[in-house]
Amino acid sequence: MTPKEEERLIRRIWIVITYAVLITFALVYLMPFIRSLVASFMTWAQASAYPPEWVPNPFTLENYQKLFRLDLFPRWIRNTALYAGLIVAGNVLFTSMAGYAFARLKFPGKDVIFSALLSLLMIPMFVTLVPNYIIMYKLGLIDNIFGLALLGIVNVSSIFLMRQYFTSLSNEIFEAARLDGCGPIKAFFYIALPLAKPALGAVAVYQFLGSWNAFIGPLIFLRSPENFTLPVGLSFAFQRSMWTEYTPIIAGSLVASAPTILLFLVLNRYLIRGIVITGGKG
Amino acid sequence: MFSSFSSFYEKARNKEIVAGLTLISIAVVLNLVFGYFAMFFAFYLSFFKWDYIGEMQFVGLQNFEIVIRDLIRGLHGAPYLLVPFYTGLKNILLYTLIVVPIQTFLAIVLASFANQKIRGQQFFKVSYFLPATTSSVIVALIFIWLFMKNGYINYVLVHVIPGFEPVDWINNKDYLLFAIATVAIWGTSGHFMVSFLAAMQAIPREIYEAAMLDGAGPIRRFFFITIPMLRPMITYVVVMGLIGALQMFDLAWIMAGANGGPGGAGYTVALDIYNEAFTRIRPGVAAAKSWFLFAIIFTTTYLFQKKYGRAMR
Repeated sequence: MTPKEEERLIRRIWIVITYAVLITFALVYLMPFIRSLVASFMTWAQASAYPPEWVPNPFTLENYQKLFRLDLFPRWIRNTALYAGLIVAGNVLFTSMAGYAFARLKFPGKDVIFSALLSLLMIPMFVTLVPNYIIMYKLGLIDNIFGLALLGIVNVSSIFLMRQYFTSLSNEIFEAARLDGCGPIKAFFYIALPLAKPALGAVAVYQFLGSWNAFIGPLIFLRSPENFTLPVGLSFAFQRSMWTEYTPIIAGSLVASAPTILLFLVLNRYLIRGIVITGGKG
Repeated sequence: MFSSFSSFYEKARNKEIVAGLTLISIAVVLNLVFGYFAMFFAFYLSFFKWDYIGEMQFVGLQNFEIVIRDLIRGLHGAPYLLVPFYTGLKNILLYTLIVVPIQTFLAIVLASFANQKIRGQQFFKVSYFLPATTSSVIVALIFIWLFMKNGYINYVLVHVIPGFEPVDWINNKDYLLFAIATVAIWGTSGHFMVSFLAAMQAIPREIYEAAMLDGAGPIRRFFFITIPMLRPMITYVVVMGLIGALQMFDLAWIMAGANGGPGGAGYTVALDIYNEAFTRIRPGVAAAKSWFLFAIIFTTTYLFQKKYGRAMR
């Protein structure tokens, strides 16, 4: 073998190893989803068979029907959508306002206030959990989705992300607006906000995932089963063993994770950009 | 109210100051109440005995004493039911020690394999990230079924590892914590893999090209270029991993139950804080325990950052 052939052979082996590793792990990461998707169309008897079976026989929609026969399940979907909608809307509006002010306006105490907000990121949520429960209790907002949403409507990391984005915009367009007599609030609504779509997209997707999947907040601040969100509702259904078989839980889990999975498949570029903006600073 | 504000704003001499303070007001007020006030209230609360309804009763350091007594009794080998905080702390430290190194290592390895000129990079990125988009509750519910004695995971292990005997992961106190750790690693390593991939793609190509001219193979390039250049990202991922792992709640709540499962093997500090506040109705003790958790998170992340560089900005 000539050295050139040898080099080509090593390269080829290396590519094979790369694909072997990547595909093996792709299977590891995807398998629970594939396996649950198949099992959600099986009877429990078949889904719990050993060795595992892969083709639903008989093919049954019974698991999904059981879920939707329960009045609570559609309610849980609605509650989760309402909660996620409030959180996304609140973060998109309020954190872009704050991010713009911190990035582009001059006012007394700006840096102090901003670093005071950032240092809240260091406080574990368990420190503020009990006091916030008491505040909500005194306000009469326990078991209320709007009250729960109030806690997450301005996320400090969203403010940080928005500020980073507005800082990165070039100065000239804002200067030009100012010379034309455009005030700072007008400049926010007519210039900054339309330019901020990529960052707003990242904030929206990120907050949607967070609120749709949130567990501990809804678990503590919501009391009655009619007000539960999907993660709390499903854990409640599981712990109460509302079904003797496990397959409706699997079907419910898939229904509950479908929106986030679909959203991620469509918008993964935005989401990954959000991670790069927040985490990539390093 | 709005019109009076807009006339005030129009008349204001320095619009920028008025606009700035207005735009940040909602964010500041909410964070002041639910962040700062709550934090100081937690501090205040930790010196009181209370049941949410009656009078608050000042008890000095008694709540902290309860926690320290719990730790001391635990070190002397008291049964887990008597020492919930010690049990939770022991479990969560072991859990962190398993989860954080493995998920960081896995994320770096997968990112460096994916960071080559290969087809389907997007497919791999999406597959690895998918678990991170799914609620940990749902992930835990699915994994309970996969971890059953007759479940899929035992089936695969029996066929991959020679001589492996099926294990009842969820109901055996020796395996429960490892099952929870596996789910956590599966759920978060893909997220960090994407972070590493982004950081790797920001490394200038010229450095690699120069190294290749000097005859450095892929493994040497990985250890002498990629790893050093990734150091800030590694610190960030480890710190984030530590903060997440030390506060683990959702997975334990589902997979072990609020009481920590068989032998308290899945009990965590976060579960204990929840139980103090809402089951045993001792918000003061819960607040004291949450300060202990804060101290643990702060010291571990501080020590790590001090040793390996600044992570946050």
